[in-house]
Order: sequence, then structure tokens, then C-alpha cells
Amino acid sequence: MAQYILRRLLYSIPLLILISIIVFFLISLAPGGPMSAFEENPNLTPEDIVRLEEEFGLNQPIYVRYWKWASRIIVGDWGYSNVTHQPVLQEIAHRLPNTLQLMLVAFLITLLIAIPIGLYSALHQYSLFDHIATFFAFVGQAIPIFWFGLILIIIFNVWLNNPISPHHGFAWSHFTDCADCKPLLPGGGMAPYGVDDPTLWQRIKHMILPVTMLAMFGMGTYTRYMRGQTLEVIYQDYIRTARSKGLPERLVVMRHAFKNALAPVVTIIALDLPGLFGGALFTETIFSWPGMGRLFYRSAQRGDYPLLMGIVMINAVLIIAFNLLADLSYAYLDPRIRYD
Amino acid sequence: MSKIIRTLLVIALLVGAVILVAGCSSSQQPAQKPTAAPAATEAPAATEAPAATEAPAATEAPAPTEAPAEPAKSAEPKTIIYGLYQEPDVLNPFIATQYAADEVSKMVVEGLVDVDPDGNFYPVLAEEVPTIENGLVSEDGLNVTYHIKKGVVWSDGEPFTCDDVKYTWEIVTTPESGAVNTSGYDKIEAVTCDDPNTVQIKFKEFYAPYLTLFDSVLPKHATEGATDMTTWEYNTTGLLGTGPFVLRDWESGDHITLVKNENYRDYPDMPKADQIIVRIIPSREVGKALITSGEIDILWDLSEADVPEFEENPDVVVHKRPGPGAERLLLNLADPTLDATDDPLNHPHPLLADLRVREAIQYGIDKQLIVDELLYGATTVGTSELSIGWAKCDIPPSEYNPDKARELLDEAGFKDEDGDGVRECHGCKYAEEGAPLKLKIQTTSGNQLREECEQLLVEMMKDIGVQFYIENVPSSELFGSWSSGAFRKHGNFDILMYTTSERIDPQSHMYGYFHKNSIPTEANNGKGFNYVRWINDRASEALDKAGATPNLEDRKAQYQIACEEIAHDIPHLYLYDRSEIELTRSNIKGFKVNPWGRQTWNVEEWDKE
Repeated sequence: MAQYILRRLLYSIPLLILISIIVFFLISLAPGGPMSAFEENPNLTPEDIVRLEEEFGLNQPIYVRYWKWASRIIVGDWGYSNVTHQPVLQEIAHRLPNTLQLMLVAFLITLLIAIPIGLYSALHQYSLFDHIATFFAFVGQAIPIFWFGLILIIIFNVWLNNPISPHHGFAWSHFTDCADCKPLLPGGGMAPYGVDDPTLWQRIKHMILPVTMLAMFGMGTYTRYMRGQTLEVIYQDYIRTARSKGLPERLVVMRHAFKNALAPVVTIIALDLPGLFGGALFTETIFSWPGMGRLFYRSAQRGDYPLLMGIVMINAVLIIAFNLLADLSYAYLDPRIRYD
Repeated sequence: MSKIIRTLLVIALLVGAVILVAGCSSSQQPAQKPTAAPAATEAPAATEAPAATEAPAATEAPAPTEAPAEPAKSAEPKTIIYGLYQEPDVLNPFIATQYAADEVSKMVVEGLVDVDPDGNFYPVLAEEVPTIENGLVSEDGLNVTYHIKKGVVWSDGEPFTCDDVKYTWEIVTTPESGAVNTSGYDKIEAVTCDDPNTVQIKFKEFYAPYLTLFDSVLPKHATEGATDMTTWEYNTTGLLGTGPFVLRDWESGDHITLVKNENYRDYPDMPKADQIIVRIIPSREVGKALITSGEIDILWDLSEADVPEFEENPDVVVHKRPGPGAERLLLNLADPTLDATDDPLNHPHPLLADLRVREAIQYGIDKQLIVDELLYGATTVGTSELSIGWAKCDIPPSEYNPDKARELLDEAGFKDEDGDGVRECHGCKYAEEGAPLKLKIQTTSGNQLREECEQLLVEMMKDIGVQFYIENVPSSELFGSWSSGAFRKHGNFDILMYTTSERIDPQSHMYGYFHKNSIPTEANNGKGFNYVRWINDRASEALDKAGATPNLEDRKAQYQIACEEIAHDIPHLYLYDRSEIELTRSNIKGFKVNPWGRQTWNVEEWDKE
């Protein structure tokens, strides 16, 4: 097993190099680049633009630029953003905690809700609960996520007010009809603005809507995964054996069926985990959340090569690592699997 | 059982990690310049922040040393929330390229003069705007003198002097300083400081937009040392100026907090607000929802299509003024299959080089319909490059006359003989016999207004027998650089559609777009904005003259000549003028839209009731 892990890790090194080459060349070949941001600015004259192109080193051939970048990152110099001139690692370090905070909470809520629902659905297949759960799973997967986020803001920020107001106390009528009431839920940002040290409750309030938006889609997917896996397991022979041995249904389900159904789902969870580090562009855009998704999108749009390569390499490392973890966890959970 | 528990434990550990991370990630307080910080932190500490440790002593303890008779502070500082959809990258006005960055920096950094919404220069740090009449500008325009207002200090207390202006010029013209816009500064021969309040600038050659220089001034005492501006702390958290506000903190990609500058020359009357919070709201739709619910006070940069839904809303005010920009069609006059030709006369565009075809296209476009249907009548039909301002050109709007268009096309040798609805060349001037009158129109993808406009144009052209086909591209591709092979620069297009606008002084814009020497080619490394490769001697001469004299009357006359030539030759076909549109809540006073500069030009007057 240790040999297997070592082998996988060794394979990942040339893989990372290959990834970096392919991505760098793809980015360079794509039209656009850092200059396009300058072109529309009437303050800049044609002379300025030519001079800037030289300063960015954009008129050097691709392999020269790649080599410059690669030789620096090997020694740990991730470079500086073309656009903000701040160190790449610093930019990423600013955004990553925000992203993780949002994504992990959303993921956790997704799993905590989806897995029990999927399990129950499978155990009571074709019951009313099953039909309703499946229906909502499909709806969750089908709804355009961008639109859903906007709807959440319109309902909870524009239409509904906070029924507790310092001037009038509590009144149900304040939900919709109150001239100087504040909105029920905030429409964006991580914390209230102008407040130096937001409380935990304030932070949570700001997370409610984006987490709902994110969880919507995931819940549909994971409910169906769990339901499918559980269905596969409960018709197996050993489950029938356990029942005929007289085990209470609770034990049959929790000790035997659930464990075995969960194993493939855990693998899928492990494969989804690197995605959490990438952030969610739509959610971050709608809810003004300063996360990795927007950072990536912004650097791609403005041709900010150092930052873009930095983010891509981090993602590549994470995907390789979590792939390995997924394989190992599957072997751990299912003793029949052995690697050598 | 144990395996399940273990899996759940791992998940629980992850959750714990999340909560730890959430608890530890707080807004990055910048390494505060010690002078600005004490005055600044007092204001928000006086609010309701419950967890703030200094809350109990807030009203007395951190009383700033330099504000003796501090009026009794009300519990809540007057805060105005300004929503931008673009996140500023750097705030240094000489490195920044985004309008959003200038919106923020304008609240902190000031210059010698600035431009008001009517297009007139007015003095900011200077006592008066230098002109020939008041003797501060020499007859030949090569010597300009500014008298600086007395007693101006930087927000950290240091005096503002001529040395700062001289330093600004030196840095901007230092090679590899990272300065983005050096034009004009490189035409200065010397900046002399005979006394700390008088700036004398001597130019090597006449630079027509001289008043646009030094619209921001760098603080010598805070930034001297490294000449590579990109390494400065000034670019982000160290921004220092003489303006009405100071930067308190900046949460990257989230918000920027500014508090009033107690060393501002008009303090305590101005600024009227105590705090400005700039919020980054990337989605315009969300921005509109938030201003409706009152969560933000001002929303930046909307389009004509956003106006109707707010006209009936009593809580939101629409601020609108015609701006200098115009949405136009660029008609390529050179052969699009060649790479960056500089000789359009010998390599003409087979279809568009014939003036009658271009005239026909213009006759075939009902511009008023576009304005009424797509822009809700909120703007005017485009007529010329300079639609507002002191150099405004007087050009009558074009006529919509499809019959005349068809006549011209017949005359030009384009007839539809195979009955497919699209004319072909039968005896036309440049194209091959039988070539269809088919033109590719391109604009930025993902822009609903532009896509609808293109559809209307396709219909209108069909009516006169011309076929437009649409091939939109992302804006970074359309506006790409010469070295990235951008097709606009290399002349590989038929028709482009986008907006461009000039600054208060139109010289560099007009020269760059319409002078015959401004064609981007291999030889000049892609310099120049004359993408359509238009060569017109009369216009080029007029632009040369316009840039050679400080006399505004003469310059205006020359621009009129250039505009007339453009209207005659139609290298650019003006569709509609753009407006500058902002939204504010109805309780915000003092906000005045400025189509010539940034909307924060008069931020000291912004008030909230």
C-alpha cells in the first residue's frame, strides 16, 4: 500500500508539469490579454499602449515566457499579479478562507440534508415521500442557479422586511409594509459594512442566502446518488440474511445497508472536495462574496497570467491529491479492494 | 460502526476547520499610517459594534489630538454606501486603468484643476485655472504657471507644496516607473519651484491638453525612494491625498471604507458625510435590487435600458446627462484579408471602399427607431464624434431614406440579379464580378443592448439588399493588443460596433482615431487607433492645426472641419450618443452626474438626510 501511494505521488510530478505547460499555452493562445483592459481607456495614447506591451514582456515568444514563469515557481516564487502588483500567493490567501467558509458550510448542509433524505427515500421506494423528494431533487438540479439567487435576493431583501424594528418593536405587518424597516436578510457581502468586528450571528445572517443558493443544486444531486446506492444495496443477499436472522430493522439499515451504500458516495464526496476550493462564480457574483471564483474569472478576463497560473496550479495539486484520497478512502471502506 | 463514526468524525473535523477559518478571517486592517489612523478609528467605534473592545471608552478616550473643539459626536456616523460593479485593482491614479479605481481614488487624491459636469475646468488645489487671459499661460502655450492655494496640507499633516508637483512629473517620466499614461508629461521640459506655492511648467513643444495634466498629485514625502511605482504601498492601503476623505480599510474584492479627512482644507464644513463605503456588487441586477431595498445609497454606471423601471419609484432618483461617447459602426476601408496594410488606397475594401456603399448603409439605418425602441428615447441620435463640450461639432443628423440607399447601391454597381434578396457586384468599382454584398458585423458578446441593435441593423440592411451577418466576440478579444494579433488592430474586419469617447480635450482621441498617421502597422508596432485605415488629407491637416495652438476658438474651427470630413466620408457611422447614468436614493443630496470625469468629483458635497 505504501508503495502504491509512493508510486502515485511520483506519477503526479510529470503530470503537474504537463498540466502547467498545456494551461500556459492555452492561456497565451487565447485572444485578449492584459492589454485589452487598457485599450478602452481614453486616457491612454497609442504610444502608451506600445510601451506597456513591452513592459509586460508580451512581445517575447511563448516558450521564453513559460520558462521564465516555470523557473521561478520551482523555487517558490509565485510571482506578482499583472494587474494589482501584489504577490500571487497573497491574493489567493486573501480569498481562499472566504471561499472555504462558504463552500464547506454549504457542502456540509447539503450532505446533512441530502443523505438522510436519499436513504429514507430508497427504503420507502415509491411512497409519497419518495415521489416528493425525487421531484424536488429534479427541480433543484434544473433551476438555473443564477436566477434562483436573484429571486432569493428579491424576496428576502427587497420584499420582506425585518419584522423587528427598533422604533416599533415586533409586528407581523412589518414583514412587507414598513417604510423605515431594514430588509429581512442582507443582499450580499460577508458582514455588515462599516462594522469593525461583526458578530457570529451577523456573519451567519450574511451566509444564509448564498448557502441556500449553493445547497439547492447539490442537494438534488446527492439525494439521488444516495437513493441510487441504497437501492442497489438493500436488494443484496446479505441484507436479506440479516433480516432473516431476526436483526431489528434499525440495525439492518444502519449497520449493514447504510455503510455499504455510503462507500461510493464518500468517493464522490472526496472527488467533489477540490471543487470547493475553486469557489462558485455565480454565487459570488450575485452575493458580492469575495471568493476564489471571482478572482479566477477576473484574472482570466484580464489576462493576468501569473495569478491565473497560480490558481490553476493550486487546483491541479488539489485535484491530484483528492483523487488519491478518494481511491484510498474507498480501499479503506471496502476491505475487498486492495492496491499493489 | 467504527468506520461510519470515523467518516463522520472526519467531516466534523472539516466543519471545525471551517468555523476556525471563519472566526479567524477578519477584514485585513492595513498597516496604518500612524497619523491618519487615530482620527479615523474614533468614528466607527462610536457605533453599535458590540464586540469592539474599545467601545466603552469610545466617546472620550481616542480623542484625536488635532481636533480641539470636536462637536458632540452623534451615535451613528453619516455613512453613504456607493455600489460599484467593478473591483478596483490599484488605486494609484498613475497606474490604475479602471474607471472604478479612479472613482475611489478621486475621493482621496486631488490635483491642480478638474473638470465640472458642464465641461469647464475649475480650480481644485490651484487658485485659478491658468489661461492666456489671466497671464498664467504664455502666448505660445509653452509656459504655464499655477498658484497653489495657501495652507493646503496632506491628510497626514505635511504641507502640500510645488515640490510634490515636480516630484509627480519626475516619477511619471522615469522609465519603468510603471506609469500607464505618460503622454504630455514627456513633453514637459522642466517644472520649477521658485517658492513653495508657485508651480512653473515649461513645455518642450506645445501640448494642447495641458490642463489635463496633474489631475492627481503624488505625495513626495510618503512615496520617495523606490521609482518603480508598482511596489508602492501607496497603490493599495497607503493611498494618501489632500482630498475630503482618507482610506481607512480595504477588504479586497469586497468593500473599501473611507472616512472624512480632518485635515481637509474646508473641514469641518466639508465633507458633509462622515464615511463613504464603496461596495463591490458584481451583478448589475443585484445592484438594482439593493438600491430598491435601500441597502445601498448610490449605484454606479447604468445604461439607458435601466431607466424606465425606476421612473415611477419615489425612493430612487435617476441622474442622467449626455456623455461624450457615441456608439458607432466602424467601416473598414482597407482590404480585410491583408494583415495591417498601411496603404488602403491601393488595397481598398472590395465592398466598403466605395463611398456610395457607405452612404447607402447610412441612409438605410433608421437611427431614431433604434433610440426609441432600444433606448426608450433616453438619448439622442449620433451625429458626430464631438457631440458635447467646448469643441462640439455642428453636424446635422443623417437622413433615413431607404429609397435613396437603393438608388446609390444601384449606381455603385450592386444589383440583385439572382433574386436571393442580396445584391451582387455587377460592374462595381472594386469587388469581383458576382461578389455578394455581404458584410460581417462584430461587437462585444454578452451585451443584450448591442445584440438587439445588431438584429435591427440586419433587418434594415435586408430591406435595401445588403446582408449583415453577426459574429460577436468577447470584449477582451475585440479590444486586444497588437501583439496578441487582435483583428481590430490588424484590420481584419468589415464592420465593428462599440462605444468610444474622448476626454475633455479631444486632441489625442481625434488624432489617434482619424489622422492618417495613426494607422497601426508592423512598422510602428501597432500604434494608433485608426483601425479603419482612413486617409483624408484635409482632416489630417485640420487635426495637425488643432493640436498646434492654445487658442480654443481656432481649435474648435479645425475640429469642425475634421467632423465635416468624417460626416462626408463616413469612416465611422454614428448610431446614438451615450449618456452617463447613475442612481441614488431620494434622500441623498449633493450628487451631480459628471460625464467628463468621475462621479465622485464633488464627493465632499454628498449628504444624506
